[in-house]
Amino acid sequence: MPKAGKTRPSGAGARAPKSLGSYLDRIRNDPAEFRTVSRTVNPLNFDVTAVLGQLNQRREYPTVQFNNPLDLHGKPSRFPIVTNLWGTRERCAEAIGLPRSDSGVRLGSLLCERIDRKMKPVVVSSKAAPVHANVLTGKKADMWMFPAVRHFEMDLGAVLTMGMIAKPPGEEFYNITFVKAFPETGQRAGLTVHTLHMSRILREFEQRRERCRVAYVLGHHPAFWLGTLNNTPWGDNEYATCGGFLQQPVRLAPSVTWGRDFLVPADAEIIIEGEIIPGERTVVNPFGDISTQYQAQQLGPVMEAKAITYRDGALFQDVFSGHREHMLLGSIPREGTIYNHLKNKLGNVVAVHMPYSGCARFTAYVSIRKTEEGQAKNAGLQALAHVPNLLAVVVVDEEIDVFNEEHVLWAVNFQVDPARDISLITNMRPPSDPRALGSTRVIIDATRPTHIAFPTRLRVPQSALDRVKLGEWLDAVKGGVR
Amino acid sequence: MTGMRLFWSTCPKCMKAFVVAWELRHAKRKLICPHCGHRYLPEQSAAIDERHAE
Repeated sequence: MPKAGKTRPSGAGARAPKSLGSYLDRIRNDPAEFRTVSRTVNPLNFDVTAVLGQLNQRREYPTVQFNNPLDLHGKPSRFPIVTNLWGTRERCAEAIGLPRSDSGVRLGSLLCERIDRKMKPVVVSSKAAPVHANVLTGKKADMWMFPAVRHFEMDLGAVLTMGMIAKPPGEEFYNITFVKAFPETGQRAGLTVHTLHMSRILREFEQRRERCRVAYVLGHHPAFWLGTLNNTPWGDNEYATCGGFLQQPVRLAPSVTWGRDFLVPADAEIIIEGEIIPGERTVVNPFGDISTQYQAQQLGPVMEAKAITYRDGALFQDVFSGHREHMLLGSIPREGTIYNHLKNKLGNVVAVHMPYSGCARFTAYVSIRKTEEGQAKNAGLQALAHVPNLLAVVVVDEEIDVFNEEHVLWAVNFQVDPARDISLITNMRPPSDPRALGSTRVIIDATRPTHIAFPTRLRVPQSALDRVKLGEWLDAVKGGVR
Repeated sequence: MTGMRLFWSTCPKCMKAFVVAWELRHAKRKLICPHCGHRYLPEQSAAIDERHAE
């Protein structure tokens, strides 16, 4: 059997199908973006997250490839781990073919434009599918062969953190969702599912007492994954959406287990073909998740592995949960979703940002071009109604940079009358795990009041800033350095 | 009121605590201690903290 990470064939060529490996080839020579660890690491013993955590403390966010991890049996794994893929907004921009300069306020809406550029997937034969280069079935389909990562000290165990593909009974569209899988044994894993569409698919299969076929994908090009994270309507084929993000059709191949009845991404790294058993539940969690808290131990559905397939040179992808890449992975599409929604509904939105302090999921900073009182609350209500799990919206004037939290909090400190400007919206759908706000949402109108005489923020005149060239005005420092 | 109700269980074997969703409080399912792997019923916990905001 090939040692996966060591024998990867070249994916070079502009027309070659995009894969995780082809993406890494673009960044692997830049140490700010890509680092490797070649000593043996035990992902169950927190070696992987200790490396990532220390990089995080140094405010460095490279993608890291661990070349020699142990698997869940404690033996050397054939799969290198690749993690922290989406650690910076710049890499997220580049992943979908945008310049790094588009990584700021425009990134979310540029990302959302891709939703409408759907590309119909193409079906190739199994022989043409790299992910079918190696096929394991029966007892050989052993999920413990993976170097699955235990991330945090109270986590129940090692977790697969990537995405699951399913289609509803009787339908031909595919939903792709990030789902955590806890491999209890080689053939059986408990799942935690948090999205409405995937939950609905599982519910429909349960009602029919039928097994739900799934493909759990452990690695693909980052643009493929960014295509799965958008607020698309029920019925959209997410393979087509992912094609828009990849800027090439997703290549699909008949699955090993179900043939053409269930198509899997041909250019993935590793796929577990599995079935979710109706009515069966197992204990999952705790797990340190996006809120940087532990999700409580709970019951989750059970996936039974039927086959494992992987490409030659396959890489095992993991998400560094509760950190930058996890946050950006969800926040950028949501920023675009909120921006586009407010633009369509109200027309006065300037920028939207979901800050790290709100774990890039639960708080949105929205700037608007305000012309009358009430517009800020209206914008907040629209955002809260449109994005599930958004808990707090702070609305500021267009002069406030929503990417600068110091500026936003200045507006909260000096332009908010709490009795008037903080609105609690009660009895909304509670988030799927405990949050302090529960079923309540909050809107903070931090725009400058226009209905009363009110001070403005100080500023040095722009004309003076333009006139004074710092390099010319500051005296030279001894030694000639300015 | 806060969101999903939860409780803390202290493992009777290693005496370390972890957080559990309320659905498991009376479900007659064994909890799994993430610290030592011990499986036990909630009522066998060394201690339970189930305070909850009303």
